[in-house]
Amino acid sequence: MAQRIVTRPNDVRFKGLGPGFWPVTMVLTLLSIVNALYFLYGSIDWIMPGASQPVTDRASDIDGLFKFMAVFGGAIMLFVAGYVIYFAIAFRARSSDSPDAVGVQIHDAPKLELWWTVLPTLLLIVLTGLSIVVWYKIQFGTAAPGLTTEVIGHQFYFEYRYPGLKTSVFSKTSPMHLPVGVPVRLLITSTDVIHQFWVPEIRLKAAAVPGLVQNLNFTPLRTGTFDVACSEFCGVDHSLMHGKLVIEPVAAFKKWLDSENKTAAAAGGAINLAAGTPATGQALFAQKCAACHQIAPFEQKLVGPGLLHITDDPAHPALVTGKTPTPEHIAEILQNGFTGPIGTMPNRQANGLSNTDIANLVAYLSSLK
Amino acid sequence: MHAGTSTTHDAHDVHDHIHPPPEGFVRKYVFSLDHKVIGFQYFFTGLLIMFIAGSFAELVRLQLTDPKGAIMSHQAYNTMFTMHGTAMVWLVLIPLVTGALGNFVMPLQIGARDVAFPWLNMASFWILPLAALILFSSLLFGGPHAGWTEYPPISLADGTAGALWCAAIFTIGISSTMTGLNFMVTIMKMRAPGMTWTRMPLFVWATFATALMNMIATVALSAAVGALFLEHVFNVPFYDAARGGSAVLYEHMFWFYSHPAVYIFIIPAFGVVSEVIPTFSRKPIFGYKMIAFSSMAIAILAFTVWAHHMFPSGLAPWLQLPFMILTYAIGIPTGIKIFSWMATLWGGRIHFTTSMLYALGFLITFTFGGITGVFLASVPVDLHAHGTYFVVGHFHYVVAGGAVMGFLAAIPYWYPKATGRMLSERLGQLGFWLFFIGLNGTFLPMHWLGLEGMPRRYASYVDFAKAVPDAVFWNQFETAFSFLMMASIGLLAFNVIWSLRHGKVAGINPWGARTLEWTISSPPPYYNFKKVPEVYGRPYDFDKPLPYRNTDNELDAFPEYGKTVMPTPQPVGAGV
Repeated sequence: MAQRIVTRPNDVRFKGLGPGFWPVTMVLTLLSIVNALYFLYGSIDWIMPGASQPVTDRASDIDGLFKFMAVFGGAIMLFVAGYVIYFAIAFRARSSDSPDAVGVQIHDAPKLELWWTVLPTLLLIVLTGLSIVVWYKIQFGTAAPGLTTEVIGHQFYFEYRYPGLKTSVFSKTSPMHLPVGVPVRLLITSTDVIHQFWVPEIRLKAAAVPGLVQNLNFTPLRTGTFDVACSEFCGVDHSLMHGKLVIEPVAAFKKWLDSENKTAAAAGGAINLAAGTPATGQALFAQKCAACHQIAPFEQKLVGPGLLHITDDPAHPALVTGKTPTPEHIAEILQNGFTGPIGTMPNRQANGLSNTDIANLVAYLSSLK
Repeated sequence: MHAGTSTTHDAHDVHDHIHPPPEGFVRKYVFSLDHKVIGFQYFFTGLLIMFIAGSFAELVRLQLTDPKGAIMSHQAYNTMFTMHGTAMVWLVLIPLVTGALGNFVMPLQIGARDVAFPWLNMASFWILPLAALILFSSLLFGGPHAGWTEYPPISLADGTAGALWCAAIFTIGISSTMTGLNFMVTIMKMRAPGMTWTRMPLFVWATFATALMNMIATVALSAAVGALFLEHVFNVPFYDAARGGSAVLYEHMFWFYSHPAVYIFIIPAFGVVSEVIPTFSRKPIFGYKMIAFSSMAIAILAFTVWAHHMFPSGLAPWLQLPFMILTYAIGIPTGIKIFSWMATLWGGRIHFTTSMLYALGFLITFTFGGITGVFLASVPVDLHAHGTYFVVGHFHYVVAGGAVMGFLAAIPYWYPKATGRMLSERLGQLGFWLFFIGLNGTFLPMHWLGLEGMPRRYASYVDFAKAVPDAVFWNQFETAFSFLMMASIGLLAFNVIWSLRHGKVAGINPWGARTLEWTISSPPPYYNFKKVPEVYGRPYDFDKPLPYRNTDNELDAFPEYGKTVMPTPQPVGAGV
C-alpha cells in the first residue's frame, strides 16, 4: 500500500508573502500608474481615431468610458500577469527539493476572498453607473433634431435621403453631408439584408435591418471628411461598402443641398437616345456595369443577368420589366432601376449616370447580338 | 469494510459485474461502447478537423497580407472564414473539450466504469463525422459564405450550401444535447461511494456545468437553424420581414445558444486548469468551493446575457441595460476563479511541465480576453467596437487563449494515463512557446486595428488602409505570427503519434496527482476499476494519504506507485 504516513497539515510558512513580494508589487503599482497617466493625459488617437478632437458630443463620452476601463483593466491585467510570472519564478521547484516536497497546504483565506469579490464588484458597480450615464446621453441626451436624415442600406452602398431633396444621395458616387453644430437624427433601415452604418470617428453604429427603423442621435462638433463603413457582413462585396461623410459649416451644407436639387432638376431633361455611341458605351459598361453584369447569355449571372442577348433572346423575349426590348425601355431601367425576383438594379443616381451616359449605354447594349 | 463510509455498495457485489472486454476490431475500436475509446475517437476526429479549419484560417490570413486581397476572390474568402468559424466551434472545440476530455477523464475521476448511457455515447460520437461530412460537402455547392453566424437574410443567398450548413449544425446539436444529458446523469448517479459533491474533482464540476448548458442551450440553436432550413428549402418566411418574419428573431435564438456555447468550451478549460495548477504546484486548490460554485454561477448567468451580441442590432434601448449589467456580473465569478488560481500558485513548488506552462499562459491570455470582454459589455463602447476586429481579437483571446490553451494543457497531462506513455517534454515546451508567441502576435494587433476602424469579415480593406496606412504592416505581422500557432499544432500532432511508440513509459501516476484516475494502471483496463473505490476525503491535499479505499488490489500490482517521474525541476524553457 503506497500511502504516505499521515502527517499534520503542512506547517511550512513563509515569512511574509514571499521573497521580493513587496518590490514586485511596487513595480506593478508603478506600471499601473504609468498606464493610467498615459490613458488620461497621453494621446490615444492611434487607437481611438480623433480622440483628441472629438467629432461629436457623444464621442468624448464614449472615449471617457473607454479610458476608465483602460486604466482599471490595464491595472488588473498588469497585476494578474505580473503576479503569475512572479509566483511562477519565486515558488518554482528547485533541484534541491526532495521529490515529494509539497507547497504550503492552505485551502482558503476567507478574508482575502471576500476582498477579491467585493472590490471587483464595487469597480463593476461604478462602471455600470458610468455606462448608464453615457448610455442615457446616447439614447435620450441629444436635443430635438435640427436635421433628420434617412440612411438606407443596399448591397453594397448606402442611400441617404434628405428632407427637401427629391432625389437620394448614394454613397457610391457622392459623400454624405452633415452640417456642423446641428443636432442630427439618422433613421436607419435596409431594403435587402442586414447592414450596419458606422463612422469610426463618431463612435456610434446601428444595424440597418429590413423591416426595422433604428435611430442614431448626435451633434457634430467639428468639420472634416470621415470614412463611413458597413460593419455587418452583407454579402460578397461587403468590404467594398464604403463611403465618405463630410461635416461642413451650415452655409456650405445648404449650398450643397441646393446644388443637389439643381442636378436633380437637370437630370429630369429628356434623353437623346439617338446621340449615343456604342464605343463610348462599351467603355462605360466596363466601368459602371461590369461588377454585376457580363456580356454573356441571360443565365450567366454575376449579380444581375448576362446582357449579351438583351434584344434578341428567344427565351426572354421581354425585358425583366415585362416590356419589349426597345432602346426606350432599356433606358427606362437604367434611369429608374428595377426590383424583381432576381434582385435589385440600382437607379441612375446610385450608378452616377448622366443623360449622355444612358444614351451611350443603350446604344452599346442595343448593338450586342 | 470501513463502517459508515459505504453502506449501499458491497465491493464484492460490484466485482461480479465486470463485463468482459469486446472482441474484434470493429467492436473494440470503431463502434466501441467504451468511454475511453470514444474519447480517443473524438480526439483524433477533432484534431483532424482542427487542421482543416486551421488551414482555412491561414488562407484568410494570407488574403489579408494585401489590402486588395492577396490570394482569392471575395466569394472564396467569405466561404473560408465561414467554414473556419463553423468547423472550429462545432466540429473542433465542442467535440474536443466535452467529447474528448469529458469522455475520457470524467468517468475515471468519479470512479465509474463507464458513462450512464454507453450506447447514447457511441451514437453521440458517430453523429460528429456525419455532421462534418454534411458541412464539408457544402463546399461542393460553393460553400456557405455568410459568416459562422449565418444571419438571415444574407445567408439565404447561400442556397444549397446554406441548407447543408443548417443540416450540419442541427445534426451536431443532437450530439451535444445527448452528450449533455449523458454526462449529467453520469455525474449525478454514478459517482463512487463517498464522493460527495464537494469531494468531486473540479474538472468534474466543470463538466457538470458544461453538460447542463449543452442540454438546455442547444435546443434553441436547433430551433433557430431548423427554421432557417425550412426557409431555405420550403421558403417558409420565419425571418423575412417583408412577409411578417423578423431577422432579429434569428439573432436572439442563435445567441441564446451561442453565448452559452462560449462557456461550453471555456468551462472545461477552467476545469483542466483547476487540475493542472494544484498538481504542479503541489498544493491544494485554493478556494475549492468558490471555484466549483463559480462554474455553476457562470453556467446559469450564461443564459441571461445573449443580447450583448446585439446592442446595435435592433434591440429596444431599455433592453440594453439589463444585458449590460448581467454581462458585467459574469466578470465577478470569473475574477474569483482567476484570483483563486493565482493564490494556488502562491507558496507552491511549481514544476514547469508543458501542461503547467499552458496553464500559466492560459491565466495571462484568458485574463486579457476577459478584460476586453468587459469593454465590449459596456453598451456605449460596444456601439463603437461591435463588428470590428476588436471583437475578433477579444474572441480569439478567449477561445484560443482560453479554451484551446486549456485543451493543450490537458493533452500532455492525461496523455500518459490514456496511452501509458509520456509525451515528449522537449517538443511540448517548444510547442508552448510557439503557440503563446504566435497567439499574442496574431490577435493583439487586431484590438487597435478594430478600434481604428477595420470591420471584421473584410475580404479587402483598400479604403481602411488609406485611412490607416499602418494597417497593412499589422495585417502582415498577424499573418506571420499565425503560422507559429499552426506549427505548434503540427508539433503536437507529431508528438502525439511519435510518443505512442517512443515516449517514456508513464507508470500509474507520473505527475503525483491525486484524483481517482491516477490510482489505476495506464492505460486503464477496460472496466477502469476492478473494485469500485470509496472516497473519504478531498482530492487535493498533497500532504495527506490518498483519500480512497478499495484501490489497494490494483496498486499492489504496481510497486512503482507513489514514486513520481516528474521531470527534474529546470528553469522555464530549459527543456526546449
